[in-house]
Amino acid sequence: MLLKYSNFSCCNVFKTVVGIFLLTTSFGYSQNCNLSITGKVISFHDKKPLETAVVQIVGETKNAVTSVDGVFVFENLCPKKLTIKISHINCEDFVTKIDLTASVTLELFMDHHIETLEEVVISKERTDKLSSTTKVYSLTESEKERYNTKGLAGALEQISGVNTLSTGNSIAKPVIHGMFGSRVGIVYNNLMLENQQWGQDHAPNIDINAFEDIRVIKGASALKYAGSIAGGIVVLESSLPIPIDSLYGKTILNGMTNGKGMGIVSSWVKSYENGTYIKAQGTLRKNGDFSAPNYMLTNTGSHEKNIALSVGKNGFHSMWNVYFSYFNTEIAILKSAHIGSIRDLLGAIEADSPSVIEPFAYGIESPKQANTHHTTSLSYSKFLSSNQKLNIKYSWQKNNREEYDLRRGDLKYTPAIDLRLNTHDITTNYEWSRNKGSYDGGLFFQVQDNYSNPDTEVRRLIPDYLKVKWGGYATASFNLSDKVNYAIGMRYEHQSNDVRKWYRNNRWESKNYEELLGSYVINEVVGQRLVSRDLIFNTVSFSTGVRYMPSSRYRIALNFNYAERAPDIAEMFSDGLHHSLATIEYGNPFLTKEKTHKLVLDVEKREGLFTFIASPFITFGEHYIIIEPTGVEQTIRGAFPVWEYSAVNALLAGIDVDLTYEINSELEFRQSTSWVHGTNKNTEKPLIIPPVTTTNQIRYSPQKWNAFSIALHSKITFTQHRFPLNNPDDVPVIENGQKLYKEVDISTPPNGYHNLGLDLNWGPYKIKESAINIGLSFDNLFNVGYRDYMNRLRFYADEAGRNVMFQIKISH
Amino acid sequence: MFKNIQIKSLLLAAVVFLSSCEKEDPAHIHEGEVITTLEVTVTNQADDSQVIYEFEAEHDDHDNQGNDHGEHEAIELDSNSTYTFEVRFLNESDPDNIEDITVEVIEEADEHQVFFELEGSSITINAASDDHKDSSNNPLHIKTVWETTTAGEVDVIAYLIHEPTSKTGNSRNDFGGSVDAEIEFEAHVEDTP
Repeated sequence: MLLKYSNFSCCNVFKTVVGIFLLTTSFGYSQNCNLSITGKVISFHDKKPLETAVVQIVGETKNAVTSVDGVFVFENLCPKKLTIKISHINCEDFVTKIDLTASVTLELFMDHHIETLEEVVISKERTDKLSSTTKVYSLTESEKERYNTKGLAGALEQISGVNTLSTGNSIAKPVIHGMFGSRVGIVYNNLMLENQQWGQDHAPNIDINAFEDIRVIKGASALKYAGSIAGGIVVLESSLPIPIDSLYGKTILNGMTNGKGMGIVSSWVKSYENGTYIKAQGTLRKNGDFSAPNYMLTNTGSHEKNIALSVGKNGFHSMWNVYFSYFNTEIAILKSAHIGSIRDLLGAIEADSPSVIEPFAYGIESPKQANTHHTTSLSYSKFLSSNQKLNIKYSWQKNNREEYDLRRGDLKYTPAIDLRLNTHDITTNYEWSRNKGSYDGGLFFQVQDNYSNPDTEVRRLIPDYLKVKWGGYATASFNLSDKVNYAIGMRYEHQSNDVRKWYRNNRWESKNYEELLGSYVINEVVGQRLVSRDLIFNTVSFSTGVRYMPSSRYRIALNFNYAERAPDIAEMFSDGLHHSLATIEYGNPFLTKEKTHKLVLDVEKREGLFTFIASPFITFGEHYIIIEPTGVEQTIRGAFPVWEYSAVNALLAGIDVDLTYEINSELEFRQSTSWVHGTNKNTEKPLIIPPVTTTNQIRYSPQKWNAFSIALHSKITFTQHRFPLNNPDDVPVIENGQKLYKEVDISTPPNGYHNLGLDLNWGPYKIKESAINIGLSFDNLFNVGYRDYMNRLRFYADEAGRNVMFQIKISH
Repeated sequence: MFKNIQIKSLLLAAVVFLSSCEKEDPAHIHEGEVITTLEVTVTNQADDSQVIYEFEAEHDDHDNQGNDHGEHEAIELDSNSTYTFEVRFLNESDPDNIEDITVEVIEEADEHQVFFELEGSSITINAASDDHKDSSNNPLHIKTVWETTTAGEVDVIAYLIHEPTSKTGNSRNDFGGSVDAEIEFEAHVEDTP
C-alpha cells in the first residue's frame, strides 16, 4: 500500500497501460544467456492471478501462458533490452520494455475490467507482507468460486496439508497439520474471528465470498494476529479499490442436484477518483436434504444469508474504513444422529443405513444449529512518511449460537444451547521500513463477554465469563542479501478470565474439588454450587525464520515457532452431553498453558514448467490439551462414557508435497500429498488425526477453443491405521431373548476412499459490457458410498453421493 | 508522534471503561425436562397387592446426599402369575417441586413409546386394557400386563423412546428414535411355596 502511494505521488501510474515492480532485483550481473524472467499476472480489480494470459517476448519466438496462479517463466535469456507483450481475453494487450541485466521477478497488474482497461497499478508482493520467510498458499479465484458453496473449510481443502473436521454434510472446520479449533486462526480484514471456535461441531461463521484474497500459512508465524495458534492461520482479505471513477461487480448463480441447492452471490464496488469507495456483497443460499448413493440424508438442509458493506476512503496521507457484516446460517443435523444412549449408538453403528429416511424436504427441523455473526469495525491509517504507517482499528463481533435438540413439551422449540459472545477489540500498530528491514509493532486490547442464556433450561455447556486480554507484538524482517531473508517476531499476551460456573454437587464431590476450589464458592442451591474464579494467563510466543534463494529456481525456508496458548474456556469448564457421540464432556479446571514448538521446512524448486514444493514439519507440544475417555457415568439413560480434557506431551510430524507440471501449453498436471503422524507421548497412543490424502488433477485447455477447459480431479483418502482406542465398555444388550455384551467401536476408522470429480469451464465470453463464465462440475462422479474418519457423524450415514453443480458467473 | 499520545490516551480510556464492567452472577438453571426417576407400580392381579419400585441414576443426585443410586434393585414376581405394571417418569431434581413427566409423555403420545426388552421367554408382556394410546390407537405401554411362567432371573431393559420411527417392534432397534430413559433391572420370578 505504501509503495502504491509513493508511486502515485511521483507519477500518475494509474493512467499508464501497465506497471511493473521489480520485486527482487539483480541476482548478480551475468554475461551468460542464463537469465530468467518470472512473472505473475494479476487482475487489477480483484487482485487475483489471471490465468491463460499469453505472454510473448516481441521479436523472439518465446512465449508462455500463465498458469492457474497467473505465473509465467522465461528462461535462458541473454542480457538485453526486451519488449514483453501480454494478452488476455478480457484486457487490451499490454506492452512493456525491460532492460534485462539480471534475472527478475515481476508482478504485472492488468485491468481485467472492461470499462477501465487502462488501469494498472503496482504493488509489493502481497504475500511478503504476511510472512517474508514462510510459504504462503493462496486459493485462486477459480478454486474459490468452484467451492463457494462448500464454505471456508471445503474451499481450503484444495490446499495440501489442510483437511476438514466435519459434522455431517454442512458443518466443517479446517484442520491444518493435524490441528484444529483454537490452534487454527481465522483472520478476516485484520481481525481474529471470535465465534466459539473451540467446538468440534462449530464451523467458522464466515462467508468466503466476501473476500477476494484467501491465504493459508501452515505454521504460526502471523504473530501480528495471534500467538496461540500452532496449527496454522487462514487470512481472508478484501482488496482495496483504486481511486478512479468506476462501478464494477460480479454475480455468481449456483445450482446443484444433490440437495437441490441454489444460491446467488453478488458483489459490487463503486469507487471515486478522490479515493472514496463503497463495497457491497451479499450471499443467499439454500439447500434441502442431501442424499447418499443409497438413501436420503434426512434433515441435512441448510440456509444461509450474508451481507457485507464497506465504505472508506484511500487518501494520499490517510485511509479510513467502516465495515459491517452479517452472517446467518441455519443448519439441519442428520435426524438419525440424535441418540439418547450408548445402546442407541451401538444400534446406529451396526445398522447399514440411518434409522430415519424420509422423502426429500427443504425444511430444517431439530436437531439443528442457528448461528449469527455480526461484525462492525472502524479503521484508520495514517502515512506518516513514505515508509511509515500507523493503523488503528476498533471492532465489535457479536456471535450468537443456538443448538436445538429433540425436546419435549413446552421446551420443544427452545434451544438447548444459546450462547451469546460479544468481543470488542482495539488494535493499533505502526509499520515502518528502513534500509533492508521492515518492522511492525502493535498493541491490542480485547474484552470478551460470554453469556449463556438460562432460558434453555439446560445446564450451561460453557459458563458465563468475561475475558480481558491485552498485549503487544513486534516483528521484523530483513533482506540480508539478495538471496537471504530473515524474520523474527515476538508477542506477549495477558489475559484474565472472570468465570462463574455452577457445578453439580456429585461432580464436585467425586472430583474432590472442595479441597482446591472450595474457597471460590459464592453461592449454593439444591444440588449445585456457584464458583467464581479469576484465571490469569501470561503467554509469550516467538517465531523466527530464514529464507534462502540460491537461484531463481530454488527457495529454501526454515521457520521455527514457539507458541504459548492459554486453555480455552471450553477446555477448562465445558460440562454437558453430546448427543451424536453419546458422551458426557467435562472440562479440567486445573489446566495450564499449552506450549508448542514447531519447525517447518519449505523446499521449492521451479524448473521451467515444473514446480515442486516439499514442506516437512515437526511439532512438539508440552501440556498439549486433548480430550479422552476417562470413565463412565450412570444416568437415567444408562452408562455414559465420560470424556475429560487433559494435558499431555504430544508429537506431531508430517509432510506436504505439491507438484505442478505444465506438460505443454494445453495440458497441466498437479499433484499434492499430505501425511501427518501424531502421538500422545505420555501413553504412546496415536492422536486423532487425518489420514494420508493424495490429490491428482489434470487440466486440458485446448487452444483452438480458447475459452474452454476441462479438469479431472482425483482425491484418494487412505485408511487411517493409527488411531487411539477409545471404545467405551462393552454394552449389555438383549438379542433374540439372549443377553450378551457388545463392543461399541467408535475408534476404528472407516476404509479409505477414492473420490473423482470433473470440472468443465466455458468462458469468459464477452457480452456487451460484461463477461460470462459457465461452469459445470461433478463431485463424487461415480456416486460411491463411503464414510470419512474426520466426520463426527460417520457412525450414522454415508457421505453425500454424486452432485452436479452448475454455475454462471457474470462480471460487470 | 502526537498521534501516538492520542491513541494511547484513547486506549487507556477504553481500558478504564471496559474493565469497569462487572460480570453478573449467572442464574441457577433448573432443568425442567430431565427425567431422574422411573417409578414402577407392580400390582398382583390375584390379590391386588402393590409394590412400588423406584429406579434412579447416580447422575441425578436429586436428594442432594451425594448417594450412589447406581445399583438397581430387582422386581420380585411369583411364577405362573399375572401382574399389572404402571410406569411413571419423574423429575425429582428439586425435591420441593417433583414433576410428573408421564403427563407430557401421554400428551405427546405420538412421539413417545415405552418398550420393555426381556431376556428369555418366561415372561410375556401385553398392553393393559386401560393403557394410554396414541392417535393411531397404539398402546404406549405405560400400563402393561406381565404374565410369568417358570421361575428364574430375567434381565429387563425398559426404554422410553422419543420420536420412534415405528410404534411396534420386538427389539429396541425396531423402534428407531432416541431414548429419553433406559433402565436395566432384573425380574426375579420365584415359585410360591
